[in-house]
Amino acid sequence: MSIFEYNGSALVAMVGKNCFAIASDRRLGVQLQTVATDFRRIYRIHDKVYIGLSGLATDAQTLYQRLVFRHKLYQLREERDMKPETFASLVSAILYEKRFGPYFCQPVIAGLGGDDQPFICTMDCLGAKELAKDFVVSGSASESLYGACESMYKPDMEPEELFENISQALLASVDRDCLSGWGGHVFLVTPTEVQERTLKGRMD
Amino acid sequence: MKLDASGLQSFAPHRADPDNLYPDLSAPPSFDLPGCPDFDGFQKKAIQTVKPAKGTTTLAFIFNEGVIVAADSRASMGGYISSQTVKKIIEINPYMIGTMAGAAADCQFWHRNLGIKCRLHELANKRRISVTGASKLLANILYSYRGMGLSVGTMIAGWDETGPALYYVDSEGGRLKGKRFSVGSGSPYAYGVLDSGYRSDLSIEEAAELARRAIYHATFRDGASGGVASVYHVGPNGWKKLSGDDVGELHYKYYPVVPAIVEHEMADAPPA
Repeated sequence: MSIFEYNGSALVAMVGKNCFAIASDRRLGVQLQTVATDFRRIYRIHDKVYIGLSGLATDAQTLYQRLVFRHKLYQLREERDMKPETFASLVSAILYEKRFGPYFCQPVIAGLGGDDQPFICTMDCLGAKELAKDFVVSGSASESLYGACESMYKPDMEPEELFENISQALLASVDRDCLSGWGGHVFLVTPTEVQERTLKGRMD
Repeated sequence: MKLDASGLQSFAPHRADPDNLYPDLSAPPSFDLPGCPDFDGFQKKAIQTVKPAKGTTTLAFIFNEGVIVAADSRASMGGYISSQTVKKIIEINPYMIGTMAGAAADCQFWHRNLGIKCRLHELANKRRISVTGASKLLANILYSYRGMGLSVGTMIAGWDETGPALYYVDSEGGRLKGKRFSVGSGSPYAYGVLDSGYRSDLSIEEAAELARRAIYHATFRDGASGGVASVYHVGPNGWKKLSGDDVGELHYKYYPVVPAIVEHEMADAPPA
């Protein structure tokens, strides 16, 4: 098993109508052994930008701490929050800084940009950005997630329907992966509110 | 080129077959070897491909009322779950069952082969084979294939004239008689529950519940175990399947989510 599958993870972000949803599993493992079932992979940068970090958990935590630092510095200097596109470029630059000794993480960034248009993107561990209009996935369950999202996604979904779809896609995919699952976390973000929900999944 | 399997040859009298109509019937089972230039190198690669970490949880224990045998039902290939509905408890004959851990193909084939040999023994000797004898047959076969990459970690459980019996047999050629075994990547977790709850005077329902809990706990902690927890009981009249419960549902039965009765609650905003 590769270093990216050492802790196990599943992340997905989907775009809806003027909203987005980002979801992750809750397992933290050490190869096959499950160590925690309440591990957070999705972090809030500010009300309209969320980042999920899959891959090695220690690198995910360190990377998140560095990004929070850089964003707070930005807020002090610019006296405003970062746009998601800008934040994605920041993450990409920070990852490429470590080109010859990378962070073993694959981030998924989701946010509401100018005019509250949803923005999602993912990157590999070296910072190669991949913008998408529909959904992005990452983690040890990524192949299953691609299949599930491809079949369940529809454009311009309302928030409730988006939540249903992303939850079903996540739970179906992690049920085919030994290393992720044990519940789910979904953040549903619209211009006016953020809903955080926990999913009840198979605990095996 | 054929693998020399003369160690498997039975010494039953050769039946009269002067026209050689059935050449394969009394020939020992043999496997064709691949005709490639670097046989040893190819074997090494083949062993690495087939060698899974025995991703499973199976357990069996003897108590006053017989033998309880339980297993999960997940098959995994590295990180991918290939099936959640694999039958890991194999019925060798009406009074003997075997568990499967390791390579599924190896376990299925050799258990069926063992069933055939047990039936031949019954026909030749007019009495059932003992669990000791059956496990010895399997262990000898596996020993003769030692080092060739078979991956089998099985328990043979049955009730014969001496009472309940349980043997552990593996592909390294090991064979152990015992009262309590658990095999597979989830076995440490199952042992924890099994060892702390075991008493020899359990009733059949209590013993089945202990086995079910042990499998459930293993599926919770071990990534390579999951699916359905099957529990079998072997008594003086043979084996009987007691239950097959989905472990996803067992979790909520053992740890029901109790809704907090809270009227008003002041809480900090959750951390980012």
